[in-house]
Amino acid sequence: MAGVTKSYGALHALKGIDLTVEAGEIHALCGHNGAGKSTLVKVLSGIVRQDAGTMAIDGRTVDFHHPGDAQRAGVSVVDQEISLIPALSVRENLLLGLPNAPFFVRHATSELFVKGLLARVGLEGLNPLTLVERLSLGERQLVEIARALGRGGRLLILDEPTATLSDVEIDLVFKAVKTAASEGTSVLYVSHRLGEVLEICDKVSVFRDGNKVTTSEVGKLVKRSLIELMVGEVKGDDTVRPVLAAEVSPRLQVRGLQTPRLHGIDLAVDRGRIVALAGQIGSGAGDVLRALAGLVPEASGLVFAEDKRVRLGSPSASLRAGLSYVSNDRKSEGLFLEQSTQTNLVATRLDSLSRAGFVRSRALRSIASGLARIVGLESKMASPVGTFSGGNQQKAFLGRCLMRGDKGVLLLDEPTRGVDVAGRSEIHRLIRDAATAGNAVVFASTELDEILDLADEVVTLSAGRIVSARPRAEVTTEELLSDMTHVEREVVNP
Amino acid sequence: MTGEMVLTVPTESGRKNRRSIGRAETLLAVATLAVLVYGALTTDGFLTLEGLKATVSGVGILGIVAVGMTCVTLSGSLFCLTLGSTLTISSMAFLSWMSIGVLPALVLTIVMGALVCAVQGLLIGGLAANPIVVTVGLGSLQIGVASWLTNQSTVYPPAGASYQWLSAVYAGLPLSVYVLVALVLAVAAWLSWSRTGQLIRLVGENSRAARAAGIPVTGTVVAGFVIAGGCAALGGVLLGATDGNATLLSGGDRYTYDAIAAVLVGGAAAGGGRGKVQHTVYGALFIALISNMLLLRGFGGGAQMLVTGVLVLIVLLIFQMRRRVR
Repeated sequence: MAGVTKSYGALHALKGIDLTVEAGEIHALCGHNGAGKSTLVKVLSGIVRQDAGTMAIDGRTVDFHHPGDAQRAGVSVVDQEISLIPALSVRENLLLGLPNAPFFVRHATSELFVKGLLARVGLEGLNPLTLVERLSLGERQLVEIARALGRGGRLLILDEPTATLSDVEIDLVFKAVKTAASEGTSVLYVSHRLGEVLEICDKVSVFRDGNKVTTSEVGKLVKRSLIELMVGEVKGDDTVRPVLAAEVSPRLQVRGLQTPRLHGIDLAVDRGRIVALAGQIGSGAGDVLRALAGLVPEASGLVFAEDKRVRLGSPSASLRAGLSYVSNDRKSEGLFLEQSTQTNLVATRLDSLSRAGFVRSRALRSIASGLARIVGLESKMASPVGTFSGGNQQKAFLGRCLMRGDKGVLLLDEPTRGVDVAGRSEIHRLIRDAATAGNAVVFASTELDEILDLADEVVTLSAGRIVSARPRAEVTTEELLSDMTHVEREVVNP
Repeated sequence: MTGEMVLTVPTESGRKNRRSIGRAETLLAVATLAVLVYGALTTDGFLTLEGLKATVSGVGILGIVAVGMTCVTLSGSLFCLTLGSTLTISSMAFLSWMSIGVLPALVLTIVMGALVCAVQGLLIGGLAANPIVVTVGLGSLQIGVASWLTNQSTVYPPAGASYQWLSAVYAGLPLSVYVLVALVLAVAAWLSWSRTGQLIRLVGENSRAARAAGIPVTGTVVAGFVIAGGCAALGGVLLGATDGNATLLSGGDRYTYDAIAAVLVGGAAAGGGRGKVQHTVYGALFIALISNMLLLRGFGGGAQMLVTGVLVLIVLLIFQMRRRVR
């Protein structure tokens, strides 16, 4: 591909990318969040169309308007969200969507074909009639790769294939990828896990801020130099916030928090402090926040807010204890998109604004306009938030959690996801102000800049455990990235 | 994959021309006017005081049920498919309980209706059960229990009970119309000014977001169902008083579907969160206008149902298109 450019409004996600992948090559795409990897994958798979630039497969120029175009051209994508149909068998899933599948499937030939495919990904032992819903995540991933192989793909794109897998499963995936490459398929391997990249890839292209920084043979790289390429320059946080006198006991205290995905998390956050939970997708950083918000029914462990025990598993109990949660998915798990800014800002505090079951509308308006002033949405009080930009939506969402006597705990999951640069710095300012006003803030993020910009303390997580906890001043970018990309095996089997 | 050429083809990815087809109110007002004009021009006795009175009188009980149905729809629980049978058993209960006095029987019946529906709300809001399955299932249960208790016989009020005021005509219109007006005012006020009323819209629009925000989703959904059950029971009381007898075969189910039609024609979002009880009543009136016109022109019940069905279909299509355009 040459000169591929893609902009979302003012956001330049890709700035003229040239990339060549040879047949049979395993080519890694590295770069931290927002670097442009996922946009590139979307362009290659036909989900979005580039604004400029060309792509060619086997020397033939291609132009994708639709994911179907990409599939026909031999591009198949395996991403974190598995696209198999759970209620169908492995065999049916493998035969689905074949370019020239017969209307009636003949058993004998298809049986051979399916068995062959499964053998190529190391699943010889799997009965093809097993329903996909009975497979483990890793097996599903492998079946998905097998399906991609079956479609005779020229280019196989793997987007964070190992984020949710166990070690054994990761080994199987690696084998399958190598098999595919040895048969002449080109592989694009998108991963945050540098250890993996160095282990199985032939070449690495590093992305940063929508540019390709370099393409290099893996043999010439070590993990540290790869990290330096990914990081580039990170500007530090130059605002100094006053340090509030700590209370006798921390505002939020977590001891031995357990969920199916978390294995004993301890945390203590004083008022006025901002703690970052740093970790890649699947690390558990977001799960900590969900558990504290009462959204994980299986959660257990001791959680205290202001020395009062918080009952886990009930969102309204968490809210009453002063824990407000800002989900990373503001559209489906946050805002009421058809309702006005005012309604959204006060949605969680109607209780305190009511007398005898009826809302005191004057009090409601004054609280709402106070919150709107803080987040800068006064002029948009009556408009439905669904019409706002990502940044303004996020401000409305954040505003809903503010001003609870400034004794609150803010739990923010990816607070600037899908927000443009300007909105991002405003949201960061809001978060700092909230902390300065006396709230305790815990946020989860996968973005280095954000973590280093905002946090007073950085806690890195991997595979549901805490890897390290350090004050911001003692954290360097390289260490942080190294902790976050912690090769999982070292954590699981120390 | 190799590539050399660099081509610059700016693509436009903005959606333009966001036309919005008129709002629900204007749409209904225009349609009603059209029906009135057409009716006046072509049907004898339609646009007379008597004709309109007949139309309005017929709306009372249906409107009451439809107001309840609106609360369920607003809370995001689609429709309560048992309101018709709740109405039927309520009219039977009211007539047989009247031996303890008319007013106590009335109160008791409404409490029973509210409780019966509260159970459905509890299952739907608390366990996220499918509203269709729950309401159909519990509807059969209601009918089953009622038919077991009454032995499928017809229920008559005790001799000498003075309940006729419940079906009397005041200033040309039956009591049910006045009850409907009062109910609409009360429920509309409750929906806009009470805490739970405001939460119903939020829960209805996005129950996941509501749960994550710590809003009591179950209680809110139950409240919607309690109102619905109370309304259906009230409708049952009025129907029982009007008919002077009640049986399981008195065709209460008709009210379920007509109420749903009224809610939809009134422009409420079937998925919840958007809609007004006033509009539902307009919807009911509109359907009644058309039915009445057909009746005056000599068409039977079949044709009326057909037209109602077509109407609902048209309204759904229009609202679906409107959402696309957004």
